[in-house]
Amino acid sequence: MEGVSRGTMRTLLLLWAALSSSGLLAAEVVDAREMVRAAMDHWRGTNSYSEMTMTIHRADWQRSMSMRAWSEGDQLSLVRVTAPKKDKGNGTLLKDRGMWSFSPKINRIIKIPSSMMSQGWMGSDFSNKDISKSTDILEQYEHSLSGQEQVDGHTVYIIEAIPHEDAPVVWGKEVLKIRDDFVLLEEQYWDQDGELVKVMRARDVVEMGGRMVARVLRMGKVDSKDEWTELTVTSIAFDLDLPSGIFTLSNLRNPRQ
Amino acid sequence: MRLGVVAVSTLAWRNLWRNYRRTMIMLLAISVGVWAMIFMTAVLRGMVDNMVTQALDTLPGYVQIHAPNYLDDPSVTHSLPAPDPSLLQVLGDPLVAAWTSRVKVPAMISSEYENRGVTLIGVDPEGEQALGFDIHDITQGRFLVGANDRGLVIGRKLLQRLDTRLGKRIVIMSQDPGNSIADRGFRIVGVFRADLESREENIVYAGRSVVQTMLGMGSEVSEIAVRGHDYRHPQVLADKIQAETDARVSSWLELDPYLSTMMRVMDGFVLVWMVVVFLALSFGLVNTLMMAVFERIREIGLMQALGMRPSAIVYQFLLESLLLLLLGLLAGNLLAVTTIYVLRDGIDLSGVAQGLEMMGAASVMYPVLQWPDLVLANVVVIVLGIATSLLPAWRAARYLPVEAIARTS
Repeated sequence: MEGVSRGTMRTLLLLWAALSSSGLLAAEVVDAREMVRAAMDHWRGTNSYSEMTMTIHRADWQRSMSMRAWSEGDQLSLVRVTAPKKDKGNGTLLKDRGMWSFSPKINRIIKIPSSMMSQGWMGSDFSNKDISKSTDILEQYEHSLSGQEQVDGHTVYIIEAIPHEDAPVVWGKEVLKIRDDFVLLEEQYWDQDGELVKVMRARDVVEMGGRMVARVLRMGKVDSKDEWTELTVTSIAFDLDLPSGIFTLSNLRNPRQ
Repeated sequence: MRLGVVAVSTLAWRNLWRNYRRTMIMLLAISVGVWAMIFMTAVLRGMVDNMVTQALDTLPGYVQIHAPNYLDDPSVTHSLPAPDPSLLQVLGDPLVAAWTSRVKVPAMISSEYENRGVTLIGVDPEGEQALGFDIHDITQGRFLVGANDRGLVIGRKLLQRLDTRLGKRIVIMSQDPGNSIADRGFRIVGVFRADLESREENIVYAGRSVVQTMLGMGSEVSEIAVRGHDYRHPQVLADKIQAETDARVSSWLELDPYLSTMMRVMDGFVLVWMVVVFLALSFGLVNTLMMAVFERIREIGLMQALGMRPSAIVYQFLLESLLLLLLGLLAGNLLAVTTIYVLRDGIDLSGVAQGLEMMGAASVMYPVLQWPDLVLANVVVIVLGIATSLLPAWRAARYLPVEAIARTS
């Protein structure tokens, strides 16, 4: 009797453990991935228009430029520099996984070739790849929830994203910190030896355009403290009625807004 | 007349050993000169041979087939359909030792820390090895296994430059035929070494099918490399293949103009080298013979007075010079052949390896004796030696017997 009951107990326990762990696992996978997806959508909206300043900082110099940006969905975005004067009119268009840049000085549109994708975008610490591959974090990675913490009364989920074997990603893993209201607070890039290489951090989460948005995004390498790039959003609006024809090469060359 | 020939020969032979010290010195000079001609030529031949065979192992092949525009612009848009039956038939010809098809495009390779431009080569590992890739050059890990291998093999130097290691993942980016970005992550499964550092830095190997899929080029390839049996005459093979295809067939002479020019320059250079060595030698030879003539003015006069014709005197001196040259050649040839035999395992020049590498040569040199070079050296010495001996011999025959006998010096 006792033996039987102990055996039954053990079976039940095992069953429970198996069920709960698999259930937990499944929930986790869905949650982590959905969380990242939600954070992306939150930042982008169906479409958006923003004005921002990019500050590039180095040990012996620093420069800023102002820009305007439009985005729609995952694939379309356009950025145009408005100041300083010497950079004014420079633009970047992302469309259908391609990247084009326009410079009024040479009056030419250049398709960014693959050889330049790893270079800095407009001289910043964001690479062309960082800028253009926004949805890769969803498609090319395996996501899992690795922890959560409480910050300023919010729950922050820590999500580990490990790239697929064949994914065109050099990182060993990326760690994302996403707040429970879907604001992306931090993105860490780890190398394959488990060393942190670069970090993108968000600060000053405020309400703008009807959403909670991080006002400042700073990208920097971990081992060179004097080199970073900050994107400061001065205004942003979501879910607008954008005219058609914004995300075209002709608009990149001849601005109509 | 026969007696005359014998007498003149005997005289020449005995005269040679009248001042044996001087003759020995001259013999030494000739044999060292001949040794230098043959041995140095063999070393140079060995160097060029080594450069050519090595270059053909890495080119690879003696003949390559490309799309018409590929050589001018090696991009993915200029690719070639996989070999059709008629081409396959000629590739099965006994003239062909091995062949392989490859995808070869410029690409970017990125690790977490570095990006570099490289040449990405999609290979059939077996074919690549048949064409000359040496499996012993793999210093870590393994070479690819099959055209579907999803790993990547990169050079030792590139591994350092990228700050990465065997077993880590890196990203390769290139362009597909539609000009958009084609990229993919690869795991480094092997590291190769090469004699030339530039190869270690610029070449990465991946499976052919994997690269074709990544670039979206179907079954098309960039080049077909063919290895024959005689690298000195690749044109026969090239012509035979060209008859079966519209693609551009080029032999290595065309693909590596630097090397082929070098091969051709080499033949001329060997002759120039031998003549230069001989010129240095000829001053000694003329001097020795002139001395012999001056010493023997009185006996030349006497012989002429006794009825020897001037031509016999010319013959006598020429014969003396010929004997001297033959003895010198014999010693020189023996010396050179022995040296080459002793050094057949190579001359280690690792001390100046970097300089040699700039020239594209390996740090171990193997002297290669080519019989035509040996014959050329001997012919040069005999022909030019006799020619330079003509002057002293002719002067000896021109003395007036009376004046010659009366001379007291």
